[in-house]
Amino acid sequence: MAEQTPRPTSPDDWRLRKPFSLKLVLTFLAVAVCLAVSARRTEIDKAIYQTAEGLAYAVGLTDEAEVATGWNNVMASAFPLTFSAEREVTRIEGFDRNDLPAFSYLISKPEREYDLDRGEWIETGEIEYLVEPFGYLTHVLWKMVETLEMAVWGTLLALALSIPLAWFSTRGYTWNRGTYFLARAVCSFTRALPELIVAIFCVLLFGFGTIPGVLALGFHCAGFFGKFFADDIENADRGPQDALRSTGAGRIKVFRFAVLPQVTPQFVAYVQYIMERNVRTATVLGIVGAGGIGLELKGRLDLSDYSHVATTLLVIFVTVFVLEQITQSVRGRLIDV
Amino acid sequence: MFLRFIDVRKSFAEDAVAVDGVSFDVPRGQFCVVLGSSGAGKSTLLRLVNGMLEPSQGRVEFDGVTVQRRVLAQVQPCIGMVHQQFNLVPRLSVLNNVLAGALPKISTLAALCGLFPIDLRRRACRLLAEVGLGEEHLYRRAANLSGGQQQRVAIARAFILEPQLVLADEPVASLDPETSRVILQLLRDESRQHQSTVLCSLHQVELAVEFADRIVGMRHGRIVFDGPAEEFDEAARRSLYGLRVPRGGDAPGEPHEQAPPEASSPESDPAE
Repeated sequence: MAEQTPRPTSPDDWRLRKPFSLKLVLTFLAVAVCLAVSARRTEIDKAIYQTAEGLAYAVGLTDEAEVATGWNNVMASAFPLTFSAEREVTRIEGFDRNDLPAFSYLISKPEREYDLDRGEWIETGEIEYLVEPFGYLTHVLWKMVETLEMAVWGTLLALALSIPLAWFSTRGYTWNRGTYFLARAVCSFTRALPELIVAIFCVLLFGFGTIPGVLALGFHCAGFFGKFFADDIENADRGPQDALRSTGAGRIKVFRFAVLPQVTPQFVAYVQYIMERNVRTATVLGIVGAGGIGLELKGRLDLSDYSHVATTLLVIFVTVFVLEQITQSVRGRLIDV
Repeated sequence: MFLRFIDVRKSFAEDAVAVDGVSFDVPRGQFCVVLGSSGAGKSTLLRLVNGMLEPSQGRVEFDGVTVQRRVLAQVQPCIGMVHQQFNLVPRLSVLNNVLAGALPKISTLAALCGLFPIDLRRRACRLLAEVGLGEEHLYRRAANLSGGQQQRVAIARAFILEPQLVLADEPVASLDPETSRVILQLLRDESRQHQSTVLCSLHQVELAVEFADRIVGMRHGRIVFDGPAEEFDEAARRSLYGLRVPRGGDAPGEPHEQAPPEASSPESDPAE
């Protein structure tokens, strides 16, 4: 077949395309109009105005700004951070005055009551409190550990659920087209449902605590693992698989020796990614009652205990930051399994 | 006869006939080379032997048994295979790659745990020594070996189950000429030592003549030459590759599809 050679023309006659087509310009205009309408609805203009006002206040251009007032109020109550915990001595079971926990001490505060007749506060006695200087910090740290545990178990649950999902989502392993599409659909479905929604449902079923958190994380990530594992298995090099299959090795053996070694690096990367994001997600799952540090955060926010909130946020931030540094440094070595 | 092709035909679509009515027998212990250019149907022919493909017509008999799905579990472990692209698992160690050839002989549970009995592991070591690799290669990844070394590992893998037949599909097509000779020599030595029959496809005439006991020449899915290596002459070469006169710049042995005067040539392919 002879290659088609175009008739030679002068370069001055070559047809050049216009840099902008009318269609492109109209599309841009249409998008701009839509965004403008949407901006009004989402109060983008107000957001810009308020932010600018706040910035102006920060550099001393104005004396009053709504955002700045809120900021000042929160900051005033957030600092100093609360690390200590005070407990009424009378409410501590088995309290022994001569055997206080380490670093802790006792304080007394007047007990006050509002007298309705006189219309003022009156002192009715004294209450003794046990103060543990790092009591609240310790409490929050333990909540953080609980959150990490939720993330670990959520990831493990997702892995367990993803094995059948991945198996049936892979051509060559699934039973038939029906099971293939069903498994793929389940993978999409679990990924499409946000964890918070799943967690709310699980809280209704299992009550407050870590159980709904673990279930929500596991459910959501199972679809992710299932889909990505299946894709990688399907894309694995066929050559080695054929070579082992031709000697009479069964599907499971071929998978173990010709597929698994090929996909291990990607699998490890996925697990690491999901682990990292599960830690971040688990911190907020508590807000809907699913255990962990989020529950603590939510409770303190509702009470406007901003100094406690700040402590909690600090712990979350430091933990996520440290974990990310660790995974970054481990990543290179883990891939080389 | 040990291996028989009985009027074997394999087509992939209406007009894509890869193997077109091939009949020949291979006696036990022979080093038989299937020679032909790319697309002559050599690979298809080999894959019909170990059941990776099923013939559209005719049949292949291996040691008196017709190769078909029902008997594959018995037949396949008796047939080793060496591939053009080596087809090792890149991230597995050399040792595990060789052992992977013995998967049909161990239980699924043992396979999942990656456990092979010590006698298999010892045999893998002996085979690796035979193909010229040493202890230092055992736990190296296959991906980190040179092409020639990878093919050595692949040969060791093909022989791990003491196969009666070894299929070699263009085993040296991805290797340089020097290494090609070494590898073919190795394949022949191994087959002698283990008393295995070899059915090896090649496209290089020189290598076929040098190493084969017998050459089966294929073109467009049909046999155009069948005889001892020493009988493979210029006429046979022309019938195989359709070269009228080797011209300057045309490397002999290169497929030459568009040669219009071919039909008028007195030594042209009789099948055409």
